[in-house]
Amino acid sequence: MAKKTYDLLFKLLLIGDSGVGKTCVLFRFSDDAFNTTFISTIGIDFKIKTVELQGKKIKLQIWDTAGQERFHTITTSYYRGAMGIMLVYDITNAKSFENISKWLRNIDEHANEDVERMLLGNKCDMEDKRVVPKAKGEQIAREHGIRFFETSAKANINIEKAFLTLAEDILRKTPVKEPNSENVDISSGSGVTGWKSKCCS
Amino acid sequence: MEFGEESSPALAFEKDAFELTVEDVYDISYVIGRDLLKISSTGEEVSDLQFRIVRVLEMFEALVNKSNLSVEELKMERDNLKSELDRLGRLGTVTGPNQLLVDLTDPNRPRFTMQELKEVLQERNQLKAQLMVAQEELQLFKSGILPQAEPAMVEVDLDTPDSTERNPATLSDVKEEKTTIGKL
Repeated sequence: MAKKTYDLLFKLLLIGDSGVGKTCVLFRFSDDAFNTTFISTIGIDFKIKTVELQGKKIKLQIWDTAGQERFHTITTSYYRGAMGIMLVYDITNAKSFENISKWLRNIDEHANEDVERMLLGNKCDMEDKRVVPKAKGEQIAREHGIRFFETSAKANINIEKAFLTLAEDILRKTPVKEPNSENVDISSGSGVTGWKSKCCS
Repeated sequence: MEFGEESSPALAFEKDAFELTVEDVYDISYVIGRDLLKISSTGEEVSDLQFRIVRVLEMFEALVNKSNLSVEELKMERDNLKSELDRLGRLGTVTGPNQLLVDLTDPNRPRFTMQELKEVLQERNQLKAQLMVAQEELQLFKSGILPQAEPAMVEVDLDTPDSTERNPATLSDVKEEKTTIGKL
């Protein structure tokens, strides 16, 4: 009897240095708004947004992590359940770019092997303060075989595109199973990936 | 009184050199001056010698004075350090290379553990998820899509496998983090 309001549920995760704009990127996507006041995320938060792809209603549950090192143990425990991870750096902050390799290593250590990864160079509206050339972002993404976008949460550049692309990439890998996708179980409690362990909670 | 005055300045000669005070130096000067008067006749040599002795006594005075002040300063320094050490000791935290000194009077001092924060965040996110489900249902009821009697629109899958209510031992082992969103 119970009908779902969506066909699939994807869990995404935002990671990257503190202050690169992860929360703003998410806020732009979920609420189409932007806030200039910087409030550091405490530990972990999430937002929900339902999108439609290939005729399927897909509920995106997007986890927003704190970039600060002191929350590391909390945030890394959320990697496991993620089907897609967005690694965000700030094009006006060289350190946040240098730390990409550290974040990629975190993914290797804590996330599922087949997690979809994506690199975002945020704040691309601030061309005058840019210190990381676009080509460098593209290069490191190529080296790791992942997608790359330069984004601006403030100017609303490439935000939706990035999320939809990531969702499409996950959808492509998702086995088309039981048409009554009744039990899209994403309780990652047991540590299994959502879309692999569908039917059996 | 007279007797006392007569005898006491000479006592300064008996003292330990490092215990001399400026007053002792004055006593010594007084005694030497008195003795010089006894031998003095007129004569160049004697008055030259007197002059030099006075000079030496002045230098002596300056040295004693300085050394006394230094000792005083060092004593104060030591007392300050002592009371500082006591204060830190009372705070109970001995700081080592990997330790944090916590000021117990600071209302904003850290006082919760990572595990506690983790649990609070989990609960927050769980409630948030449930609220969203409830809002969604409410919306559907309002728009009349669902007749009132129907069961819940969105299945709230309350059993969170493995993660929550088990014995504490497994709880810690299992990567339980996200019991939360089984319900979305």
